[in-house]
Amino acid sequence: MLVPIFTLKLNHKINPRMVTVGKFDGVHPCLTAATQAGKVFIHNPHARGQRPVAHRLSQSTQDSDISLLNINQAVTCLTAGTLGPNSTGDTLLVGSQTNLLAYDVHDNADIFYREVTDGANAIVLGKLGDIPSPLAIIGGNCALQGFDYEGNDHFWTVTGDNVRSLVLCDFTGDGKNELLVGSEDFDIRVFKEDELVSEMTENETVTSLCYMHGSRFGYALANGTVGVYDRTARYWRIKSKNHAMSIHAFDLNADGVVELITGWSNGKIDARSDRTGEVIFKDNFSSSVAGVVEGDYRLDGQKQLICTSIEGEVRGYLPASKDLKGNLMDSSAEQDLIRELSQRRQNLLLELRNYEENAKGVSETNSGVGVIPANTQLQTALSVRPATEAQKAHVELSISTPNETIIRAVLIFAEGIFEGESHVVHPSAQNLSGCVRVPIVPPKDIPVDLHIKAFVGGKTSTQFHVFEITRQLPRFSMYDITVDSSDAPTIGRVTFSINDRPQRVVMWLNQNFLLPEGVDSPDITFNSLRGGGLLSISMAGNGQITLRTDDIDLAGDLVQSLASFLAIEDLSAEADFPGYFEELRTTLTEVDEFHSVHQKLTAAMADHSNYIRNMLVQAEDARLMGEMITMKKRYRELYDLNRDLINEYKIRSNNHNALLVCLKSVNQAIQRAGRLRVGKPKNQVISACRDAIKSNNVNALFRIMRAGTASS
Amino acid sequence: MEIHLNRVDYIQVGVTSQKTMKLLPALGKKATQKVAVADHDGIITCFGMKKGEAVPVFKTLPGQKIAKLDLGGAAGTPQEKIFVCSGSQVRGFTRKGKQFLTFEANLTESINAMHVSGADLFVCASYIYNHYCDCKDQDYYLSGDKINDITCFSSENLTRFIPVLACQDRVLRVLQGSELSYDIEVPGPPSVLELYNKDGGQEILYGTTDGKIGLVQIGEASAATKWEIDNDKKKGGILCIDTYDIVGDGVNDILVGRDDGTVEVYGFDSASEPTLRFEHVLSESITSIQGGCVGKESYDEVLTATYTGWVTGLTTEPQKAEAGPGDEVRMSKEIQTKVEALRTELEQLQVKVLQGREQYQQTSQSSTAVSAVPVFSINDKFTLCQDDASYSLTLEVQTAIDNLLLQSDVPIDLLDVDKNSAVVSFSECDSEQPNGNFLLATYRCQANTTRLELKVRSIEGQYGTLQAYITPRLQPKTCQVRQYQIKPLSLHQRTHSIDQERPMNRLSLVGQFSFAEIHSWVVFCLPEVPEKTPAGENIAFFFHNTFLGTQLEATYCKGEGHFKSDNISTISILSDVLSKEATKRKINLNISYDINDESVSYTLKMIHPKLEYQLLLARKVQLIDALKELQVHEGTADFLIPEYRNILDQSTNLLEEYKKQPAHLERLYGMITDLFIDKFKFKGQNVKSKVSSLLEILDNYELNSLLDFFNEA
Repeated sequence: MLVPIFTLKLNHKINPRMVTVGKFDGVHPCLTAATQAGKVFIHNPHARGQRPVAHRLSQSTQDSDISLLNINQAVTCLTAGTLGPNSTGDTLLVGSQTNLLAYDVHDNADIFYREVTDGANAIVLGKLGDIPSPLAIIGGNCALQGFDYEGNDHFWTVTGDNVRSLVLCDFTGDGKNELLVGSEDFDIRVFKEDELVSEMTENETVTSLCYMHGSRFGYALANGTVGVYDRTARYWRIKSKNHAMSIHAFDLNADGVVELITGWSNGKIDARSDRTGEVIFKDNFSSSVAGVVEGDYRLDGQKQLICTSIEGEVRGYLPASKDLKGNLMDSSAEQDLIRELSQRRQNLLLELRNYEENAKGVSETNSGVGVIPANTQLQTALSVRPATEAQKAHVELSISTPNETIIRAVLIFAEGIFEGESHVVHPSAQNLSGCVRVPIVPPKDIPVDLHIKAFVGGKTSTQFHVFEITRQLPRFSMYDITVDSSDAPTIGRVTFSINDRPQRVVMWLNQNFLLPEGVDSPDITFNSLRGGGLLSISMAGNGQITLRTDDIDLAGDLVQSLASFLAIEDLSAEADFPGYFEELRTTLTEVDEFHSVHQKLTAAMADHSNYIRNMLVQAEDARLMGEMITMKKRYRELYDLNRDLINEYKIRSNNHNALLVCLKSVNQAIQRAGRLRVGKPKNQVISACRDAIKSNNVNALFRIMRAGTASS
Repeated sequence: MEIHLNRVDYIQVGVTSQKTMKLLPALGKKATQKVAVADHDGIITCFGMKKGEAVPVFKTLPGQKIAKLDLGGAAGTPQEKIFVCSGSQVRGFTRKGKQFLTFEANLTESINAMHVSGADLFVCASYIYNHYCDCKDQDYYLSGDKINDITCFSSENLTRFIPVLACQDRVLRVLQGSELSYDIEVPGPPSVLELYNKDGGQEILYGTTDGKIGLVQIGEASAATKWEIDNDKKKGGILCIDTYDIVGDGVNDILVGRDDGTVEVYGFDSASEPTLRFEHVLSESITSIQGGCVGKESYDEVLTATYTGWVTGLTTEPQKAEAGPGDEVRMSKEIQTKVEALRTELEQLQVKVLQGREQYQQTSQSSTAVSAVPVFSINDKFTLCQDDASYSLTLEVQTAIDNLLLQSDVPIDLLDVDKNSAVVSFSECDSEQPNGNFLLATYRCQANTTRLELKVRSIEGQYGTLQAYITPRLQPKTCQVRQYQIKPLSLHQRTHSIDQERPMNRLSLVGQFSFAEIHSWVVFCLPEVPEKTPAGENIAFFFHNTFLGTQLEATYCKGEGHFKSDNISTISILSDVLSKEATKRKINLNISYDINDESVSYTLKMIHPKLEYQLLLARKVQLIDALKELQVHEGTADFLIPEYRNILDQSTNLLEEYKKQPAHLERLYGMITDLFIDKFKFKGQNVKSKVSSLLEILDNYELNSLLDFFNEA
């Protein structure tokens, strides 16, 4: 049994996921974490009582080993590591919703302090691609930004949604680091510098990523899933009812291969084998885990796994010694093996008994057993149903039995299309029949496996046969084929050329849309059941494909899906979405307005603070002079001023939030314009758009979005 | 004094019932003991351990499910005859497995409790107790509620036997011949009885389904409780008890097996108070427990049998520490042969199963064949927890559970249970649909989960059925449905007496109904009432509300029923349900009320301390975070007023307390609102429009203003 080699109780709360270890003087590792009230604490037990108090740093009065760093803003992420080329120790980087601070703890000085309008939800420090100096890369609202030690941003790109997790690892195996980004649109994206090389779709917000070894990395989702990917293929995953707070790779059983260590919201820590996900060690904290890190905390040359809880409890574990033989848990492996084998034997015996009893025939006339004809087979069918007065538009899954048996209940397990992971249909006793229709409304255009379990039996049965069927819902299932083109035609369109036969496009259509009898021509019109109007696809003889829809997201999804089906590496396209572009233009003017309001407000605030200073001096003067009436008056004025300031602050923060929303939609627009292209043209569009925004050239921006290049 | 016991698994048999495993007395002085265990397949397995391997002594043929197993023998000889009961039949076997007795008890119901002593046989079906001597009928008794277990004093200095019955209505009934001598009230429904001293003495150990243990001294005309152990840690209900000196201090220790898999050993300290000495958790219900020596000579152990049929020992024999290098090798060799044997058996089975699967597949081609998979057994329990006034549902299956579907047609809340690792997912259910679902939830279980525990919170007045569909991981896949009634007065619990001093409201029914009919209505409304119509002309039941502490008295006979409660909402719910039930059967009821206005203020005053405590707790908990932040900011908490400093000091306790009772305040508010509406309902006024102002008063709670509001409105 592995036990912690040290435990500490720090009297400070720790914000989840904001824990790191840094050697700020180059020698001594210090546990650093964000705590309440916009502070960061640094636990340094190695050099007691020789720290000066100045600037941001102050000694905690509760614990002499802890110094507190005042950020005065809610911290959103932090990390530590080597940033500058000739600094002695690690640099501490602290991100908030508006700023990024690089701080030298040893010298007690700011290295740089940058305003980041997109916020910093996640941070990672290290080398990326061919960029020579290490970068502090922050992920904010749809944007990624990398700063070097001077605070210059060397890296900028956009991603599909708010970034929640980042990690650097050599994904492609070319000896250079790629950036892995987990975001709120459930995607894990891999960037080779600013080029998107891979995209993996999960079914919940990706909250944590960690590098394991080789091309393997671990991930955690907001729904309690943790798992391991090898490149783009998922190796294993498990789901718990608790949430994974922090994941970390550490070789706990000393076998030379790292394990995935997960800290859970219920205080559990477990270590899982990177190959199978089997638990090799677990331990419990009394409160939720805040972060899992590693460091040589005892300064004896051995790395320890350091786990922290949100209540400030810290435990360190050394990798297991040889005599434990990789058996870290308090149980005998032999007994477990025998137990497992016996369990399997028992299962097989029970199954055998089921067959034997079944072969004997039904001796009992007891109807509760749920006797069904042996040739009962379930039929399932998927069809698109447009909206009626009674029901919204949906995809209908109908399940029926061929005989007089009834379906008691249907359970559908599927990811990403229901609120939870399952959907249940349980008709009341009066409405039992052999046919169940399940309306499904997939919220996004993703292909989904429906794992259907149907309970089949008689009306009065207490035991039912369980039929298990898996059906796949195609990616674009919420589109109903239509012949009636009397609706207003769409103005938005994207055009591109491919070098492939129309039959291949027809194949793609049949695989990705829910078509009742299939189609044989690539010219087709659909009605979007989500209310997006018409979608028409047409292909000219020269291989030019035109997609007409007003929904730029849908157009992007179609282009990406078609390109991956036809294995197209680079695809440029011309696009025009007048409605969307008009919206974007308004947003851009709004951004300008918000910026100017912001400046005005900042100036006003500076004025007010001057006033306050004056007023305070006057009031105190009056008090010293004994002029109580004047003093009261001054203080009343001060009070009013304070109230004004608070009001102004509210306005400022509203203004700021509105600005963030706008900036996010601008970033998304760039991402969307990119998604209409594939490969190199895509990256060109994204970087050209960015340049246009930097130079505030709105017309150029739209030109790029339309044509795909800046010059024309 | 601490003891350390190591777990050793011996064999696995079929599903076992409570008290179906016993150790046969040792033959020589030092030899190990043989084990007899009976299962639901009707097989009795008797085995001994030789060199770490289970060697069967005998094994009977499959038959009807065996409910109990006991040992007996002529007085003065070793008690080594094995008696089992299945259905209404009792059979006897010698220690060699030779059947020497078949006795048909001729009961209409199957026997569920049995005790053997010399030539005397005591059996109990659900309500009936029978005593046979040399298979001749002696005594007979009809109990008022279900009999869970029986034991009997039969020491030599007693001229006659004293049988004691453990009955579901929270009493132990002491009999004298065919008559009830007296009964003993115990704090919960007793599930198991055991003699404290096997050689004599008149002390009885009992265990209850809500996890309490006690010792009573049975006297001539009355009994005295020696001690009781409460169930503070909310462990499972007691299924089996034994006494054995496992600690080795010359005093018998108490061995306890619970339905959540906990095995406990209680020893006695210098003041003769029972204290916990050892605890181990197996993953499934412990159905039988006994102390003895099985695995290795001169090492005592606690032998347990679990629901899925594992016979497991917790032995004093050290597993590794004291074994020399030579021993180690021998151990692993033994295990190796064991593993190999298992593997070959598995392979053979696999082939057989494949054949079976193929045959099964073939039948699906035929148009006449039917598929009927045998019913798998489920061990389920749906009980009201007194502490937090919620229901706990435990389900246990022989093999791993794949998933569970919960469906309810009444609004109920599903609470999270820490022990439960299954991933729960709630499905949308629009109650407007004709399907009438209020709750649809699936639990997808982790591998090897054979036992699931859930918590459900009901609302009084809303009644219906909760259904659980359990699908185990067993081919061909089947699922079984279990139904649980949520009764209108679901939070009430039986008690022995009530406080008659409280101001009471009365509901009286007069009409043309039989005793059986009104009894069935009471069964429909209230939990813990026996389904069988009680003997006699009339009956009185007492209940108390586990959440509010209010009480209810129900007395009824043919054509007449009286219900008294200090809680006006209870009366209101009863009157609604009873009149609905009567209308269903087209019986004309004459309902009259006697409403005591004082009762409402009394109930409010009774709720007051709970409400005040909860409000204070909520307020304190709200402050904790802010105070902590201040503390960090200022670096010290010295500047705070003592009250706030106190909150900071106690913060962990406060948070724990708060977490323990989720939504407690909301429930109290709901009940006060019901009380308000019901008070005026009986006056013929509809005050639903005033509920919002009531909630306002509750938000700024003060007892007097609330009382005034109740009086004025």
